[in-house]
Order: sequence, then C-alpha cells, then structure tokens
Amino acid sequence: MIEELDAIQSEALNAVATVTDDAGLEALRIGFLGKKGKLTAASAGMRDVPKEQKKNVGQKLNETRQAITAALETKGAELIAAKDAAQFEGIDPTLPGRTLPKGAQHPLTLVQDEAVQILRRMGFALAEGPEIETEWHCFDALNTPADHPARNESDTFYFENGKLLRTHTSSVQIRTMEKQAPPVRIIAPGSAFRRDEIDATHLSAFHQLEGLYVDTGVTLADLKGTLEFFFRELFGEDTEVRFRPHFFPFTEPSFEVDLKLHATGQAAKWIEIAGCGMVDPAVLQSVSESRKDDAFTADGISGFAFGMGIDRLAMIKYGVPDLRLLIENDVRFLGQFA
Amino acid sequence: MNTSLKWLRDHVDFSDFSIEKLDELLTFAGIEVEGIRNIPDKLVVAKVLESVPHPDADKLSVCQVDDGSGTNRQIVCGAKNYQVGDLVPLALPGCQLEGEGGKPFEIKEGKLRGVPSLGMMCAASEIGLAKESDGLMILPEGLTPGTPMAELYPAVFELEITPNRPDCLSHLGVARELAALVGKPLLGVYDHTDSATPTSVADESIVSLQTEMCPFYTLRRIKGVKVAPSPAWLQEKLDSIGLRPINNVVDVTNYVLHEMGHPLHAFDAAKVTGPLRVREAAEGETFKALDGETYTLEPGDGVIADDQGILALAGVMGGEDSGVTESTTDILLESAYFCPTAVRRTSRRLNLHSDSSYRFERGADAYQAAGASDLAVKHILDLASGSAEETLHVAGELPAAPAAVALDNDYVRQVIGAPISDERISSILTSLGMKDSQKGWVLPTFRVDLPRAIDLVEEVARVIGLDEIPAETKARFAPASKSDASYDFCMQLGRQLAAIGFHENRTLKLISEAQLADNIAVNHRGMSPIRLKNPLNDEQDYLRPGILPGLLASAERNQRFGNRDLRFYEMGRVFTATPKGGEVENEHFALLMTGASRPRNWAAKEPSSLDIHDLLGVLDAICPGVALVPIESDAMIGACSIELGTGKKAAKLGMAGILPPARARELGLDGVVLVAEMNLKKLQTSIGQTRRFTPLPKFPASSRDTAFLVDSGLPVGRVSEFFAAQQEQLLESVELFDVFHDPSGEKLPADKKSLAYSLTYRHPDRTLESAEVETAHEKLLTALKQSLNVDFR
Repeated sequence: MIEELDAIQSEALNAVATVTDDAGLEALRIGFLGKKGKLTAASAGMRDVPKEQKKNVGQKLNETRQAITAALETKGAELIAAKDAAQFEGIDPTLPGRTLPKGAQHPLTLVQDEAVQILRRMGFALAEGPEIETEWHCFDALNTPADHPARNESDTFYFENGKLLRTHTSSVQIRTMEKQAPPVRIIAPGSAFRRDEIDATHLSAFHQLEGLYVDTGVTLADLKGTLEFFFRELFGEDTEVRFRPHFFPFTEPSFEVDLKLHATGQAAKWIEIAGCGMVDPAVLQSVSESRKDDAFTADGISGFAFGMGIDRLAMIKYGVPDLRLLIENDVRFLGQFA
Repeated sequence: MNTSLKWLRDHVDFSDFSIEKLDELLTFAGIEVEGIRNIPDKLVVAKVLESVPHPDADKLSVCQVDDGSGTNRQIVCGAKNYQVGDLVPLALPGCQLEGEGGKPFEIKEGKLRGVPSLGMMCAASEIGLAKESDGLMILPEGLTPGTPMAELYPAVFELEITPNRPDCLSHLGVARELAALVGKPLLGVYDHTDSATPTSVADESIVSLQTEMCPFYTLRRIKGVKVAPSPAWLQEKLDSIGLRPINNVVDVTNYVLHEMGHPLHAFDAAKVTGPLRVREAAEGETFKALDGETYTLEPGDGVIADDQGILALAGVMGGEDSGVTESTTDILLESAYFCPTAVRRTSRRLNLHSDSSYRFERGADAYQAAGASDLAVKHILDLASGSAEETLHVAGELPAAPAAVALDNDYVRQVIGAPISDERISSILTSLGMKDSQKGWVLPTFRVDLPRAIDLVEEVARVIGLDEIPAETKARFAPASKSDASYDFCMQLGRQLAAIGFHENRTLKLISEAQLADNIAVNHRGMSPIRLKNPLNDEQDYLRPGILPGLLASAERNQRFGNRDLRFYEMGRVFTATPKGGEVENEHFALLMTGASRPRNWAAKEPSSLDIHDLLGVLDAICPGVALVPIESDAMIGACSIELGTGKKAAKLGMAGILPPARARELGLDGVVLVAEMNLKKLQTSIGQTRRFTPLPKFPASSRDTAFLVDSGLPVGRVSEFFAAQQEQLLESVELFDVFHDPSGEKLPADKKSLAYSLTYRHPDRTLESAEVETAHEKLLTALKQSLNVDFR
C-alpha cells in the first residue's frame, strides 16, 4: 500500500510538472483526486490494511493527498502568473494614445471669464443692455456734448430711425441705474462698435468690460484700490499699475490706467489698459431726471466707473500681436487655447 | 501737437529736467506724450569724402567721411542714395539708437565682411526723424561736420491734448501748466489779456458783425511792409514743429498761434474792397481756400467777406486770393473769437481742418485776442518794417468771463477720500492761476473747462496724483442677477462643447446682404434684418439676424487654409426688426460641423465623414431628451425643428440640418456641412431646470429583444412614436440597437430594412415573473404589427 501511494504521488508530481495549461491541470486534478481518481481509488484499499498499520498508512495517504494538492495549486498559480505576464507582453507606451476630440473656448471668452471671476469675488454682479441704443443712453445721459466728434456719422454706426450701435458699454451704466437704486455694483462685458476700418489694432466691433459702483460715500481712493487689486489678480501680484489724469465726458476726475508690460526681448513699457473715474454729477443728474426721483442725486451718493477693452486684455495676456486673429477664427489659432 | 523743448525753454527753465523727467511730468499733468523725437548723443553731421565698392560684397561700399575730428573715419555702408560730398548723420561708436520694436542697441566698431567700419551712417527713420525712409538722410548743405545732430534737431514732444484743455494748445500754454506743477516761474510772458494798444470802436465802414458765431473781432492795418523770407530764428522755430516757413508775415501769424494758441489771419489790404463783414454764407455760395480747393458753403458757415465776396472761412482758413504774397505792401491783421460749435460744424462738414479751426473748435480765449494781435504786430514791424495804425479796431463785445466757482473743501476730501489740508487745496488752485474771492475761486479766462466744483476737485486730484491717495477696498455683497444666470449657463455650455471637440468662434456681428441668405434662425413672422444707415462698406452693412452666416464664412476661410475638420460653436446676440420697426435683440447659439467624424488615429481605420446623426448626437448631449421633428425647409436638407417636450407644449428651440450642397459650393465650402441654430434663452429655460432625485429601482428588470422588417423608407421616428404612445405599465425603456439594410437584396429584400430593439420591463415593487413579461411583450408586438405592419424576423 505505501509503495502504491509513493508511486501515485511520484506519477502525479511528474505529470503536474509537465502540464502547460488550465485544462490539463484540471484533468490531472480529476485523474488523481476526483471521485474516480487514482488516489481516491487507492484510498479505498484502506479497508484491507491491517489494523496496526492503519495509522501509518492513513497518515501516508494524507501526506500524498496534500503533496498532490499543493503541487496542483502551485502549478495553478504559476499558470495564472504566466498568463498575466503574457497579457501585457510587448505593450509599447511610446505609441500615441487613441485621439479624443479637442476643442477650446475662444481666447476672448477665456480672458473675459478670468476678469469676470475676479470682479465677482469683489462683489460685482453682471448687467446687460441693448447693443442698438438710443443716442440719449449712449451720449446725452453720459454728459457728451451735442457736437462731440464721437456722435459723427463718420465715427458711429447709425440706423435710419436715429438709433445707433453703442460705441461703448458705458450705456449699460445708464440702463442699470434707470432700473436699480443705489447701491449699484455691476460689471457689463459686451460688444461695442465704432466706424473704424479693421486693421491690426482696430476692429469695427470690439469687446469691452464696464464697471460701475454707486453707493454712499464712494471715493477716488476706493476706485484706486479696486482697480489695483483687479489688475494684480489678473496679471500677477507684481503688476505695476499707474493712473494718468485724462478726460472723459462722463467721469470727473478721470484717469487712464497703464500697466507696465514686460515682454521678452523688449524694453518694459507702460501700456494703456483702461479708462476710469468718478461718475460725473451730470450723469447722476440725467439718471435722476429719467427716473424722476433723487435716488442718485441725494446727499452723499457718489460712484466710480471703469471700462477696458477685452480684446486688448487678450492681446496682452496671450501675446496676440494682431487683433484680426481674434475675429478670423482660424482653428490653428483657436486650438492654442485648448 | 508738436511741442519743441527749445521753444518751451523760452518760458520755463527746464535745464535741470531730463527728457524722461519731462515725459513723466507731462504724462501726469494729463497731457499724453504720444512720441518724443529725441536725437541721441554721439550722432553728428559727417561729410562723405570717398566711396569705393567693398572688395567682397556687391551691395556694400567703403566710405571715408569727415566727422569733424580732423581724422577721416572709415564706414562700411549699404545705402546707394548719396554722393561724395553729401552731408549725412553719422552715429559714432557708443551712440544709442532704437532698433525694431523700440529695443535699444549701441553702435560699435566692427568689421563688415572683413572691412573695419567705425560707426554707422543713418537714415531719417533710424534716428527718429521720420516714420519711414528710403536710404540715408541727406542733410542741407553748409553744415559743419562734427556738429551734434541734437543741436540741429532739439527734442520735440508729440502731445495729445484732451479736448477739455484748449489752453494747452500752445507752447506758452504747456509751459504755464508745467511751471505751475513744478513751482517754477513762468518766463517771457507778456500781459496778453491787457493789450497796451489803445482801441477804437470799429464802425460799419471798417467791419460789421452780422452773425452770432463771431461775438468779438479786432482788426489792425499795417502799411508799407516788405514781405520777405523770415530770419533764421523764426524759420528754425517753425521748422522744429514741422511747419513750412512761407514769408515773414505769414510766419509771424503761425508763430503767434503756436506761441499763444490764438489763431490770427493776415489779409492783403490791396485785395480787400470796402468794409469787412463777418456773416453767414448764403446757400450755395462758393469759396476758394488757401489749399486751392473750392468749397460750397451753406448758411451756418461763418465767413469774412468784402464787397466782392468771401475773403476767408471764419476761424478755419483764408482765401487763395486775399492772402499775403511777396507783392503785398499793406495788410489787415485779424484777431477774433469764433464760437466753437459753428467752427466745428463747418470744418467737419467740409472736412477742412486747420491749426486755426482745431483751436477755435475747442475754445479759444477771447481775452487773448488783443494781446495776440499786439505780439504779431510787434514781430511784423520788427521783421517786415512798415507802420501800424495807432489803434486796434474792435467790433463786438468780449464774451462773459467764467463765473467764480464756490468750493467746499470737505467736498474735495469726500470725493477723493484722502485728508487733504485746506492749505494744500488753496495752494494747488492758486498755482494754476485761480484767485480766491468772496464768491469763490475766480478762474483765469483761458480755463473754460472748470465751471463746477467737481471740476476743481479734478484739478486737485490731478495735481496731487493718485500715487499719494490711499487704495481703499470698500465693497458690497452682490446678489446674482438674471445676467449672472445666463452668463453661467453660457460658460457651462461652452465648456461642455469644448470638451467634446468644439472650437468657439467669435464672428463679426456685421454681415453682408449676400450672407443673409444663410440665416436659418427661426425668427417670428414678419421680422426682418436690420441695415445700417452708414455702413463702412457693403461687406458689413447688416446686423446679423442669426449666427450661422458668420460661422459659414469662418468655415470657408478655414478650409481655404487647409483646416478640414471643423467643429464650431458660437453664442451671442442677433438682431431683427419687427414690422413696425422696433428692434429685437436675442441671444443665439449655433453649431457647425464638417469633415471627419472623429480624429484620425493609427489604431482605427480612416474615420467616416460626419453625417447628420453626429450633429443629433451633439444636440442630445447638450440638451438631453431633445426631439428632432422633421420640417419642410428650402434652407436645409434633412431640416429638423429642435424641440423639447411633446405636443403643443413642446418648446421650439431652433433648427438643425445639412447645408444644401448647391449653397455650399456657392460659398466655396467642401463636403457635408452640418448646422444648427438655437435661441439661447429658450435653451436655458428648457434645460436649466432644478435637478431632482428619482429613487433607484429596487427590483431587477427583464429584457426582451425583437427584430423586424419594415419598408426601407419608413422613418424610425414612426416606431419611436409607437412605443412612446403605449400604455404598458411594465415597459421601462426601449433601445434601438441595430439597423440593417442590404441594397444588394441578398440578405434582405432591398426595399426593406431590419430594426432590432431591446425592450426592458420592470415592476417597481416586485420581481417580475417570466410569464408576465412574455404576456406584456407579446401584446406590444401584436400591437406593433397591427399598427405598422412589420414582419418579425
């Protein structure tokens, strides 16, 4: 009996050593350990083993079963490991990935959104107004003299009914104040139009970002703090900002804002980026006349306004040298902003 | 306005100011410096003594030049436009010039193709004396080699004066402003407001004022002048600011204009017949101006006329026939005040702009008229001899001087937001020429821009500068507006589209009449596109009624540049007019797709072309549950109305389809072009609903597949409608998973197609029995057969 078990074990281990696949291994398990397997058959001989040898033979039988089981398991694990290894053999991570479609928002949208997000953190809500405007909202209410050159048909697009395409987003200031009493704290990104031939630095339709804050006791110091914070958020905390006295009909005092631009390979220079000032009392007076109340002319009410070109922000932010790139919509250009 | 530093120095001692410091001073005074013509050091006059071809370069010459040092200097030069003996500007080693893009570079000794070159001969554009130039700058004869160019061409500032400051439109005006800002005395000033010449009231035999556009007019006769070229000092002054010297009399009037800012005019007295009349032109009256052009005038145009006709266009330009020439002996010198509005209207209508009209348009100082006349007479007598009449003939009245402005210093502090002392405010306003009085601050007559207290606040803020004012951060909480909601919706939609391969376009809102044909936007009946009254050209004369025309133009341009695979979206405003002429502005959203259905890649075969189902897939992604309802339309093939919801409550969001190939060819577009346009606000309302949770199913579902043949022409939508109309409670969802059509007729009859659906059944409260599912499924299939006469496979 012992010899027989030895023989079975030896036969089983040899067979396991040479098997190469899961099916063969399963066949061996059935052939030795299954209901009709060789070891199962041999174990039936336990009945004929003399009583005094039963313990030894039983022990031997267990050892043989364990040895065969262990060999089968080890071989099984080996086969899985070999299969796992084969599955990833020869992969080439240097072969490019399967391409997914790539799109992008327009750089004007991207830079506008950056500006809008900053100003929203500063408590400005968005406002809108019509692009086809009345002369009153675009010029009169903004304290622009009746014979101001900007009103000329050579500079401004008009319609037969006397309305015009707004020449700046400042008309949204008036539209907003007509509807909303102080405090007014709004920004208005939008299109504006001037009768300019299109070239590298002019577009007949361009994009502006307007800001307005009217409240009790708003000061020039508030305007300075607001715009300095904004431009440092947008262009980095080292950004140098300067305010040059200027003239606009709708603000008094008025300033132009310059940023110091450090372009590689060029001497740093100041470039004009925005116009701003304290809302002219004449503008608040116009609004009051339109509203038929004194919400904007009451004692202590004052405000500031600012406006900047979004096209210009994009040119500076992304180093775009020619405004026409922004309206040509060439995918080789647009794809650079993915 | 060109302003010469040398000229400014007549009035303020700026010897301790560098060009950079003056630049900053002007800038922070509110005077924009648009450019500085500043000749660098080590740039001298040189004479070309010899020029021989370079031994190793065809395009170069080797020159010997006299630089005034006593030793000849060798320069290798590429220009061809000079001759031996010419005088040219020479940059010596160490000279700093400005290169392209304003980048500074230094001239060094070096070798050009092996031949030593000890400097550079310059073109006018290289040293800032011209914007463009061709070849070397050839200097006038007679200059001494070695003379610094900076002596010949002193620094000139190109200034942009804001329209509120006509008082700065002269050298004296700029000098006065700067002197006040730096606290230096103003030199060489004559008391212009108080003329030393006695006046006499001009009667109608001399001049009569017949129009409101001229409230004040003076005239002085000078006899026996000798018209001749001006002396060097005067020629040089005019030359430095870009004016061409003409003769001593005309040059003096130009000098006074640029010195004091007051325009004058000199008539040849021999060409004036009878008394002068300042009147409005008659309708259709013509006038030949100094520029040689003939202008047709109308009432409202101010003119100076005599018995014979018009001599000058008031405040704008003199006449060709009445001006001072070499044969003139007696002159009539006009110094007047013309109203800004009238001068502006005339010069703009005639497109005739002069240094004179520029100043009268913005507001001259009537109180300077007599002084300006005095100064001109003094110089004319000096340069052209002759004798002036004893008195200045004066017609009309000086306009009222600006009223005193009351100012509360607390108001100044309140607007600026900084603790500025009363003393500082007083000192600033005083330095600018204002005088404190009982009634408030009395303004100088030349400050026409300060009628209100806020204007004085501006002066204080301007002089102090924002550097000194603290930066505060007053703010408010801001509730979101409707505009905020639409903005966020657009940004979210844009990001989603960018993520699935779309490039955002920003096309022009002004389009051509031809482009209107491409508009597919659904506009209400009777709405029409809006045309500009004064378009720039006929490519941009309509406001876009939809976005698609612009996207198609963009696609055509891209294809022309070799960009074939295009997925574009654009959002923005569109414009239409109601039948009554009222304008309507809407926010739209458009898609355009053309080219391959997916990016090319090594791992898959060549991608197929896009078809309409790619577009529908995109619409379904951005607007889940959207339905496409086929409609009749000439504008598109496969035109669909994009709808959300069913029946009468369905929201019609827009249109989608394929651009007809004939139109695509007309536009120069290649391949299948898929397009869609929607109303953004409607889209936002339809899909921007608040999100709600639906409980997940607790019991398993059971699926049954079925396949059947239908006529190949049957729209699948008919089958979808059938399933949607079924009342079977257990039916949870229906999915089309295969469409098969065999045009060869081998596997299926060619006029049939096979549709395969997977139907999912579920009960919310229990696991379904197989038999229940079978019953429900059979019932549906029977109904389907009856309804659409399908053949089950």
